[in-house]
Amino acid sequence: MIRIFYRLILRPLRSEPARTALMITAVALGVAVVLAIEMAGEAAAGSFRSSVETLAGRADFEVTSAGGVTPETLARLATLPYPLTIRPRIEDYAMLGGSDRVVPFIGVDLLSDALQGATGSPETFNSDDSIWVGDALKLKAGDRVHLTVNDRALDCTVRGVLANSGEVIVMDLGPATRILERNGTLDRILVEVPPGKPLEQWQSTIQAALPRGMNLAPQGSRTDENRKMLAAFRWNLRVLSYIALVVGAFLIYNTISVSVVRRRTEVGILRAIGASRSTVLVGFLAEAACLGLVGGAFGIVLGRLMAVGSVRLVAATVESLYVSSTPAPIALDWRVAALGLLIGVAVAVVSALAPAWEASRVAPVEAMSSGRREHEARVHSTRDLLFAILLAAAAWLASRQGPIGGKPVFGYLAALCLVASSALAVPMLVSGLARLSGHALTAVFGVEALLASRSVVASLRRTSVLVAALSTAVAMLAAVGIMVGSFRETVVLWMEDRLQADLYLRPAGPAGADRHPTMSADIAAKLRTLPEIAGVDMFRAYDISYQGLPAVLGAGEARIAGRYGRRPFLSGTAPGLVFEQLEGRDNVIVSEPFAYKHHVRAGDTLTLTLSGKPAAFHVLDIYNDYSNERGYIIMDRATLLRYLPDPAASNAAVYLKPGVSLEDGRRAVESALAHRRILVFTNRSLREEAIRVFDRTFAITYALEAVAVFVAVMGVAGALLALVIDRRREFGLLRFLGGATGQVRRIIFFEAGLLGLLANVAGIILGFFLSLLLIYVINRQSFGWTIQFHWPVAVLVSALSIVYLATILAAVFPARMAARLIPIEVIHED
Amino acid sequence: MNLLELRHVSKNYATESTPVPALNGVSLNVSEGEFVALVGRSGCGKSTLLNLAGAMDLPTSGDVLIDGQSTSALSEAALTKLRREKVGFIFQSFQLLPTLSVVENIELPLLLAHRSGARQSALDRLGSVGLEGYDARMPYQLSGGQMQRVAIARALVHQPRLLLADEPTGNLDSVTGDSVLELLLHISRQHRMTIIMATHSREAAAIAGTVLTMRDGRFVE
Repeated sequence: MIRIFYRLILRPLRSEPARTALMITAVALGVAVVLAIEMAGEAAAGSFRSSVETLAGRADFEVTSAGGVTPETLARLATLPYPLTIRPRIEDYAMLGGSDRVVPFIGVDLLSDALQGATGSPETFNSDDSIWVGDALKLKAGDRVHLTVNDRALDCTVRGVLANSGEVIVMDLGPATRILERNGTLDRILVEVPPGKPLEQWQSTIQAALPRGMNLAPQGSRTDENRKMLAAFRWNLRVLSYIALVVGAFLIYNTISVSVVRRRTEVGILRAIGASRSTVLVGFLAEAACLGLVGGAFGIVLGRLMAVGSVRLVAATVESLYVSSTPAPIALDWRVAALGLLIGVAVAVVSALAPAWEASRVAPVEAMSSGRREHEARVHSTRDLLFAILLAAAAWLASRQGPIGGKPVFGYLAALCLVASSALAVPMLVSGLARLSGHALTAVFGVEALLASRSVVASLRRTSVLVAALSTAVAMLAAVGIMVGSFRETVVLWMEDRLQADLYLRPAGPAGADRHPTMSADIAAKLRTLPEIAGVDMFRAYDISYQGLPAVLGAGEARIAGRYGRRPFLSGTAPGLVFEQLEGRDNVIVSEPFAYKHHVRAGDTLTLTLSGKPAAFHVLDIYNDYSNERGYIIMDRATLLRYLPDPAASNAAVYLKPGVSLEDGRRAVESALAHRRILVFTNRSLREEAIRVFDRTFAITYALEAVAVFVAVMGVAGALLALVIDRRREFGLLRFLGGATGQVRRIIFFEAGLLGLLANVAGIILGFFLSLLLIYVINRQSFGWTIQFHWPVAVLVSALSIVYLATILAAVFPARMAARLIPIEVIHED
Repeated sequence: MNLLELRHVSKNYATESTPVPALNGVSLNVSEGEFVALVGRSGCGKSTLLNLAGAMDLPTSGDVLIDGQSTSALSEAALTKLRREKVGFIFQSFQLLPTLSVVENIELPLLLAHRSGARQSALDRLGSVGLEGYDARMPYQLSGGQMQRVAIARALVHQPRLLLADEPTGNLDSVTGDSVLELLLHISRQHRMTIIMATHSREAAAIAGTVLTMRDGRFVE
């Protein structure tokens, strides 16, 4: 059996090393991308821990509250008659001087917290310039460090290095409270309970003792919230990473199909001398498994390498949209390796099932017939088209269904149905278009184009699979291109409406999805005294938890927003009317992602606990927002200050008086705030910054698409090689009939060009429908964003041109091989 | 003047161990309009001689002159041009392209040579081999004899001066084979076409004006 396997399966693979290598690389790349995204996802977001949660140590519970934990809470916990370990914390971020490096800045009670390495005297603990640093920062005791915290610049001295604590800066609670102007408010209190009693009992006992509105949750609840929030992102990324594998599957199918066609007579002979159907079936499946196994093994190594780049891209997206989290080391463990091999073999074997089954149906009598050509021509275009229509209908039905567990499962099913539908419709498209264009191409490009177009139609089965593979990659490229382009255009238009102020201010301290550094409270008053300024909208943001998911509570000055706001709300109500009702009342507006995630509608009531006081807020309306996937609850600043009386603002929008130039206004603001570390953006530079972040966020999707296209183009190269081998007699004959080697080369190039053209046509059609699914179903159900459809013509034209060019380039080696065939050898082979 | 001249031509094929001689110092003169039959067993060198005569291969030593031009002195492009203008080939297994219709197969040499009026010339040739009205058919719709007639039409469509036929009746039954031979004889006589035909069959060779027997890469008496 092993000998038969070697002779019939391995030997043919070895006889075409270039083609075999291409197929293995295709599988390897497909597997590599999946593993790279898996490893990068784990590393970038795997811990799901916000980086401020470092140094939490062992704790059973954490006390948190929107707007901060009151000092009274700490006092109550401290006076409880239980031996609890209580660790209060203030959490923020600091930017290390001379770099953009952002690290958690944590205030802890150093006297009681007993962090390893946090040594010092009570005087140094209480000093405003004493810090202790995590060992990963590579600083040593005595070093002077320049920090930017919120809008303040600090010069600190490193008093000690904390062992095994990563990148973190620690300060004692007292000075940290002063520097961060918290007035005793804490971000979190970690509570450790003594053993012996169930945690549930402890939770109810402690919760009962806490002031109203303080939330006691098992430690790690925030991590769970982040995990839930990131689930959709990781799910979508994972699905995208499988595209290259799907394309690879088409190519395995094609390889095995070609194998079956070529060895039909051989199979007939085997059957005639006693081989069973199952032997033949297993033989071809084993061929696929070999390709899958070797490809999977290479894929593991390649995936580990690709994970390095991917983790940077994924981490950037996580940081921009979700949570500040330091990427963990990339872990390639045996499970990942096993997954790689399993995926490689499974995809290869499943892809080979149909052709292998067909091979097992070969009758012994075919050993005597030369049924190859007839067999090749046996493509059921009409039947396949009917199936294609049915699948398209199934896709439409699936697209009408809602999400399952917050995941657009039916959306993906619809996409899969569409890809399958397109693959089945491709033979009709290929034969139709190749026939239609054949005469025109011949008239323009001559006999080479005629021969190429005829060959495409004659080998319909194999060319269809190739076109289907390439068009799937092109379609995904186009679909993601359209989706991202539409999203980008939507964001640009949204910013035009939303960003009406002339200048925007925020602390030089680092901002992020869950980081809202603040500016000192006196800034607003200073700005309002400037003669150049017509209005200032101070905005404050708090990171809160709502119904078990992270969200942002924000407050701006409704009066000013109402005066300058242009974008209507989702209900169609003019902004002026909505903001008027927001002013000073317990009314809120919510962003679209928030409304979608929490099923909130205009007219609903939200209950929020602010500074321990539960309050009901009436939802006036919903607005489009693309700045944050967590979702916003927005109220008037006056309302917020009633509940959370901290006047510091996270950012400010400044409106200049008519006639004041942007430069004059900017200069006036900068000189008024010269002593503060505040960044001043013009309207234009803010938009540019936002678009830069946007582009960075989607870089990973383009990288994934590029790999899928690369896999498909390699498949084309492999298939063209096979084609040259199978048609060598034809090329030899052409030389006998007066054809030049250049003409033979041109035929291959025309054929590649035709395949590329057909794939682009099929790809753009499929891509359009997939983009509709992405925009209106998958994105909506995953993230809740409304995206306006837009054709990113320049992106599409350049992407498709590159794919087309790559397809032509894939023909270089096969064309050279065809031109080098020795005619008298190939013509007399039979 | 001789249309084809072989002067002490040898041809060796390289194998992994030793070169295998296919032709061994062969000399031959074929004049315009002559019909020569090469007879011999498989492997005697008939096909090699035809390949050299058709400028499809170059001799290891000696000279092959077609219409006075030594093939060894010509570039690849010049050899292609020579074939396009002066040589037509007919094969044992017809070698029609299955993806092209009958008329498209016939016009192929003209299209490859970028000559105008290809379709009309192809239709005229099709008529001349007795297959008028078959132009739109595909090769698989033809019988063996009809396929060989189409192949003959294709070999003649660009009006070559030298027609090389390698076992043209080898895949045909005797009746059909005879009709193909008659057609070749007719072409030779009517167009004063120079024909060299390789065949196993003494009967087939009998229609030629000159019959040369080959053995082990040489002519024998």
